[in-house]
Amino acid sequence: MSDEFAQFQEAFFEEAAEHLAIVEEGLLALEQHPEDLDLLGKIFRSAHSIKGASGMFGFNAVAQFTHKMETLLDLLRNGHKTVTPQIADLLLKSTDCLKTLIDAAKNGSAVDDETVQRLSTDLATASDIKVKAEAKVETAPLPLTPHPSRCFHIAWTPPAWLFQRGLDPLQTFKELGSLGTLSEVQVDVTKLPELATMDPEACYLSWTMKLETVKGRDIVDAVFEFVHEDSVLVITEEVRGKESGVRGAERPSSTPHPLPLTPHGVEGEPKPLGEILVESGVVTRDALDKALSQQKRVGDILIEQHAATPQQISQALQKQRESAAHAKKGTDTASIRVDTAKIDKLINLVGELVITQSMLNDLGFRFEMCQMPVLLERLAQLERNTREIQERVMGIRMLPIGTAFSRFPRLVRDLSAKAGKKIQLVLSGEETELDKTVIEAIGDPLTHLVRNSADHGLEPPEERLDNNKPELGTIRLNAFHEGGNICITVEDDGRGLNRERILAKAVKQGLIGEADKIADDQIWALIFKPGFSTAEKVTDVSGRGVGMDVVKRNIDALGGTVNIKTELGKGTTFTLRLPLTLAIIEGMTIRVGKETYIVPLLSVVESIQPKIDAIKTVVGKGELINVRGTYLTMVRLYEVFSLQPEFTEPAKAILLILEMEGEQVALMVDEILGQQQVVIKSMEDNFRKVDGVAGATILSDGAVGFILDVRGVLEIARRGALMAA
Amino acid sequence: MSKTALVVDDSPTMRQMVAFTLTNAGFTVVEAENGKDAVNKVARGPKMDIVVTDLNMPEMDGITLIKELRKIEVFKFTPILMLTTESTEAKKKAGKEAGATGWIVKPFNPELMLKVIAKVLPV
Repeated sequence: MSDEFAQFQEAFFEEAAEHLAIVEEGLLALEQHPEDLDLLGKIFRSAHSIKGASGMFGFNAVAQFTHKMETLLDLLRNGHKTVTPQIADLLLKSTDCLKTLIDAAKNGSAVDDETVQRLSTDLATASDIKVKAEAKVETAPLPLTPHPSRCFHIAWTPPAWLFQRGLDPLQTFKELGSLGTLSEVQVDVTKLPELATMDPEACYLSWTMKLETVKGRDIVDAVFEFVHEDSVLVITEEVRGKESGVRGAERPSSTPHPLPLTPHGVEGEPKPLGEILVESGVVTRDALDKALSQQKRVGDILIEQHAATPQQISQALQKQRESAAHAKKGTDTASIRVDTAKIDKLINLVGELVITQSMLNDLGFRFEMCQMPVLLERLAQLERNTREIQERVMGIRMLPIGTAFSRFPRLVRDLSAKAGKKIQLVLSGEETELDKTVIEAIGDPLTHLVRNSADHGLEPPEERLDNNKPELGTIRLNAFHEGGNICITVEDDGRGLNRERILAKAVKQGLIGEADKIADDQIWALIFKPGFSTAEKVTDVSGRGVGMDVVKRNIDALGGTVNIKTELGKGTTFTLRLPLTLAIIEGMTIRVGKETYIVPLLSVVESIQPKIDAIKTVVGKGELINVRGTYLTMVRLYEVFSLQPEFTEPAKAILLILEMEGEQVALMVDEILGQQQVVIKSMEDNFRKVDGVAGATILSDGAVGFILDVRGVLEIARRGALMAA
Repeated sequence: MSKTALVVDDSPTMRQMVAFTLTNAGFTVVEAENGKDAVNKVARGPKMDIVVTDLNMPEMDGITLIKELRKIEVFKFTPILMLTTESTEAKKKAGKEAGATGWIVKPFNPELMLKVIAKVLPV
């Protein structure tokens, strides 16, 4: 698509969005002032603009639907009909529906055809009642019965001057071919004069052909629209079912599998020999199938001739299957639109990298020790280049988070209407960029959180007024960078989480004991447990006890964390902390024995050197360590991976306190080596899934280091503890 | 190599809409305000793959334009479509006699227009 047209289309969508907003606002205002004709006129004009423009751009579904709205609006505008709450409601619903249709035209998103159909019918009914009240038009679509395939025999002698009007018979055949299966195309060359007397610009040919199609006679006629009157054209329809006696005998070639024939039989793949033989009646299809079944495969023949071993053949076959699978996989790759400026910059940088490389090359060939400073300088340059390229390449995948935020204004509007609450949504930090895959993945968790805030977090207006709070509740969505991560906060100024109620519910569900002393953070984390909901009643929006655990799971899957800050009566803030990208993580490198592992930095809380008396062993739970009054499960990493450690005494080793799913564990390692960014290489893609390992990476010394899957490690440790008990 | 199209219409809106639709379909479009303008633009210019012209225009109307174009060697076999509000036989006949390949009846939407073009232009 050309940029220019894309721009015009973009302009249409923008304009349509503006008009939609006018229609929506207008309709809402209309409920208060049903007699306002100016308002009706305004709504009508907006609807009309959408209809006109969408028709021009070929968005017929939009145009047709808007036309129905327009009809009803026109009746209202002219006073033929008065605005009733039912009509206002119908129009509002239709506006929503129109929005989905426009979105569908824009992004190809899904449309609920049933809703469109139902609203179309309702609109038509509402419009018809006044005009012809007696005749309710049934606009339900007729059930689609599949048309039986029809067969036309066409004899066409075009006028001699066919070419001089810019007509090309090949186009006609192509068009006929597009309607169905065109076969038995035969050209009559008998009218062709001697070469000496021939006018090269005249058409002397005529054709006969057979067309099998589900289309009607009129469609076939339309193909010849421009030449019909000037041609000798005979189109006869073969009557199916009755033909068997006469035509069937005449045409033994009409096999049960009609073979699609390209107009001249020159395009496309040549037919296999067998097919031609069957068609020309030399052999029957049964005979062909039999012959084919006796045909040996290439592999078998090669094995027989001792040209290859069966193993070699099966290896080759495996390779063939793999490449076929690969080809299939390649087709559903996602694409991303990249600003050409970004790519140009990248190409520049690669150019610089090549220069640096050749300079280093040059230096390497005739290196003397006195050139050491030069070498170091060039290496520093190489590092700069590499880092910059890395950043730019990551930047290609970066999109502003605004694309994920944009759905929320409407969502909040609907939620506020449904829940009978007054809610304003404040967005900030929309320009914050993060990885496309992360953006796509956080849409749903964010929606859950916003819904949750609107439904549970914010109080009804009366309750807010009683508590000396403004009637209008606020939900804030904010995004910002923090370190190598992105933070997204969902904040409401509602009632806050109720500690007592959550505790009571948790005790009731047996998640905690009645006498347990639990820190606030751990209480808030309880709301992420599956099936946990303190809502007094299940509402349409949320409170079914699904959602928050899904949020937690989704964020965990992205390698992120969720934090809750809440104050009773003041509000709740959910903070999502996510990695900027899924391909590179900030990791802490640790050592156990001779092995190096990487722990995602996001899950590291702190590291401690334990005192020996802080460690207790509990039957069935393994070792626990007392960290400032809280007992944490202690996992010895060398036991999990059966390694030979440097230290088996916890007092000499180092404990990493890791957090996952609101739970903390202590991981015993020999030494912390440092922090570094690591590029994740998938284990599944390159080897196979390994328990306790999230992926692998190449360390600075070129060795492979494993990235720990903290949850997996803990599970292995727990299994071990249970077995020991 | 994208295909080229000559779009002739005195109404800018109409001309632009046709031009945008064709551009969208991958054509390189040359626009002309009327028949005379069109002849001036293409007489010594590149060959066009298709011509879409209005009929009622000042300076030189569509029928005359079609006749003029058919006199130019490179336009001898070029598909020429006329835009017409009147689907009367008289207009069609006049167009055909002048050498028009076919017609698109107004009002039309881009989809329909491209469909008619696909009828006469090899893709």
